[in-house]
Amino acid sequence: MASKALSDQVAAKWQDSFNRLNRGAPGISGLMGFSRAWAIAADVLHPRELGAPPKDFNTNEVRSAFDVLMQCRMLPMLLESFVEDMRRHQHLITNDVVRYMAEYEASGDPDVIGRLVLLLADWYFAWAPGGELGHTISSAYIVHFQTHLFSVLPAAFASGFKKLLAATLTFFTEGATPSIPVSVQDSKLWPSFELLGLADRYESLIASVCYEHIEAHVLETSAGKWDEPVLVRLREWMADKVVPWMLLPYARGAKTTEEARTMLQGVGSRFDFHVCKTLCDLRTKEMFDIVIDYPDSTPALHDLKECLQRVDQRSQLVQALRKANKRRLLHPGADTKDILTQYVSLIRCLRAIDPPGVLLFKVADPIRRYLRDRPDTIRCIVASLVVDSESGDSLVDDDGPIQPLQSPQVDDYTDPNWEPEPVDAGPDFRANKPSDVVSTLVSIYDSKDLFVKELQVLLAQRLLAVTDGNYEKERRNLEILKVRFGEAPLQVCEVMLKDMTDSRRIDQHVQSQSSSVMHPTIISRHFWPQFQATKILMPGQLHAIQESYAREFTTFKPDKRLRWLSHLGSIRLDIQLQDRTVSADVPPLEAAFIELFSEQEVWTVNDLIERVGPIERPAALKALLAWVDRGVLREENDGTDMQRFRLLESAPTDAGAVPVGMTTAGSRVALTEEQPAVLTVQQQQAEQMKVYWKFIEGMLTNLGGLPLDRIQTMLKFAPGYDRTPDQLGAFMDAARREGLVNVKDGIWRLNR
Amino acid sequence: MKVIVKQWHAIAQWQWDTGKTDENGDPEEDVCGICRVPFEGCCPTCKVPGDDCPLIWGECSHVFHMHCLLKWIATAASKQQCPMDRRQWVTAERKVAAGDL
Repeated sequence: MASKALSDQVAAKWQDSFNRLNRGAPGISGLMGFSRAWAIAADVLHPRELGAPPKDFNTNEVRSAFDVLMQCRMLPMLLESFVEDMRRHQHLITNDVVRYMAEYEASGDPDVIGRLVLLLADWYFAWAPGGELGHTISSAYIVHFQTHLFSVLPAAFASGFKKLLAATLTFFTEGATPSIPVSVQDSKLWPSFELLGLADRYESLIASVCYEHIEAHVLETSAGKWDEPVLVRLREWMADKVVPWMLLPYARGAKTTEEARTMLQGVGSRFDFHVCKTLCDLRTKEMFDIVIDYPDSTPALHDLKECLQRVDQRSQLVQALRKANKRRLLHPGADTKDILTQYVSLIRCLRAIDPPGVLLFKVADPIRRYLRDRPDTIRCIVASLVVDSESGDSLVDDDGPIQPLQSPQVDDYTDPNWEPEPVDAGPDFRANKPSDVVSTLVSIYDSKDLFVKELQVLLAQRLLAVTDGNYEKERRNLEILKVRFGEAPLQVCEVMLKDMTDSRRIDQHVQSQSSSVMHPTIISRHFWPQFQATKILMPGQLHAIQESYAREFTTFKPDKRLRWLSHLGSIRLDIQLQDRTVSADVPPLEAAFIELFSEQEVWTVNDLIERVGPIERPAALKALLAWVDRGVLREENDGTDMQRFRLLESAPTDAGAVPVGMTTAGSRVALTEEQPAVLTVQQQQAEQMKVYWKFIEGMLTNLGGLPLDRIQTMLKFAPGYDRTPDQLGAFMDAARREGLVNVKDGIWRLNR
Repeated sequence: MKVIVKQWHAIAQWQWDTGKTDENGDPEEDVCGICRVPFEGCCPTCKVPGDDCPLIWGECSHVFHMHCLLKWIATAASKQQCPMDRRQWVTAERKVAAGDL
């Protein structure tokens, strides 16, 4: 049994509760009033079925009922019972959600989601306690409603919601189209999101929808479009189309445009960043082709420049470009000229994007290293330096004045405009001033001497090919080059040009004394590149012409004599045969041969070579076959090894004549490629190295094994030796491959 | 058959007539005894070879760049001697070429 104290306590509690509910009214009338008020309040708050007819409540009655409950401090109890009521009725909402979600999963139509959201909003309004009931109740209601709602929404809702959002965005950017779900166009949709707490809950989803839309739009409108600036248009598009949409989720409740603007500021710049980033990614991916298209792609470069200032993706750009270059440019299949062209475009493009040249430095490094290994790089650069301005395929179309080559400068710290190197510059970045393209190309190599040598060879080839005495173009080229390379290194070329003009003057004088068919170019030996050392003796009248000209020359210049380089130049001949005359411009060797045929009609190749001098058999055959092609000679094969050629005094009429090009010796494939008259730089170096090999052979014989640096030191005593240890090493390695020397522990020995 | 030469664009090198008749004249030998630059090159002070930087022939048969020799003669230490054989320098008249003609 309960003790007395316990029953006292219960009695006190009871009395206390009673007093609270009865509010000091007489009898139990207070209690009665309370239960009436409770009933009314509970009825008002009762979660109803949607279709159910709304009950009519007397507002005053309801208010007084709530007043009563408040006085009894029973509002929390009421709330609790309301929440409990809601929980008991939530199956109604759950049913709807399940039904709609099933429909959505079957159809995938975001419209279903839209309708579901609107329906849920209806539920919300149906159950919501009136606003006059105080903040506590309504906020408790919102929390419980949303909690319940979120607990029943399945995972698929998120994806559907996203689709729905995307549809609303499309609705805003493109206007109403038949494909837009009807529910999207309902103006209540966004307030419903807000009401149901979906806007907050799915905020990241909303942002991602916007991001994706931006990405799709950028890709669609800007991919491959390099000939017009797109960034400005994209930003206009953002302002016109996307921002009105963004007002809905991000500027909820903004009363004025001012207010909306401040609310949008943060999120707006986030989306602007995304526009830049997407465009930047796109252009980075396309960069290699943009460079190819330069200068048509200039607007794209300006876009990229602006994007890069906003988005820090310079290193991505560098990496992408390096990768693309490696894959598409720096492989054996690419022509050196193409690589150079691309490199030049690259220089211009990256200078446009990044004037200090940090990007360029990073991207260009592999290209420069690759070009350095290509044997014909210098030749290509030089050729493009002196290219005919008319042909227009010059690498360097100079707009500005020609500038001297610039060499990297040491930082001048007293310069008040001095700026530190950009932050992302590598340790070996050289902050050279924006230099012209030619300087950059020439700086691929450490010294310009190589260029000057190559220039000399090129100039020699071009000058010797000139027959009409028009050197003006060459002179102009040389003047341009002088500005670039400086006067001194090109002194040699200057002498070459002077030789040309001198030759003309001398020739005019000689012709005035005794006219000759010969118009030689007289050159100063030490100022021209080395020539192929073939000596041929001109026979018959050709020799006579040389002799008489040389005599006239010596009369004119008593101290000088002429040495003929008989294998160079060209001769215009008329061959008068019995029934026809053949005219031809031929190289001297061919002229020599045909002259010999005027002595006798049949020659063997060997006899011809003997008469003319030390020439190679393939070269002789080639010359003879040239005459066979002209129908002047015919090859005769009498079964022996001797190849004989016969002069055709009268044109062959018999059908049995060997058709041109079908002769046995006419296996043209076997003929050597025509050698250019002037030795290339590599050939010259190889030629010199032959001399040094004698030295090396000597010292290895006398001193036994030697390390490479000893050999280098000793070779330095030799006149004119200017190889680096690396070059010597490469040379020794080549000798090793030929089996001449062997190396062990860095000591080189002769093979015996 | 008759071959008629209409026009001939030939290439030739000029060479100083130093009196040596060696046809295949070893080019390594034909250097000025003072500056060690080939005769067909030019002396260190000149930039253009040939008539602008002529040779000078001595009675002693030695040949130099004219500029080189004149500079040498102008120094007191030279005592007007040929740097090769220390004989009195006497500039020779060019007779070799004239004899040829």
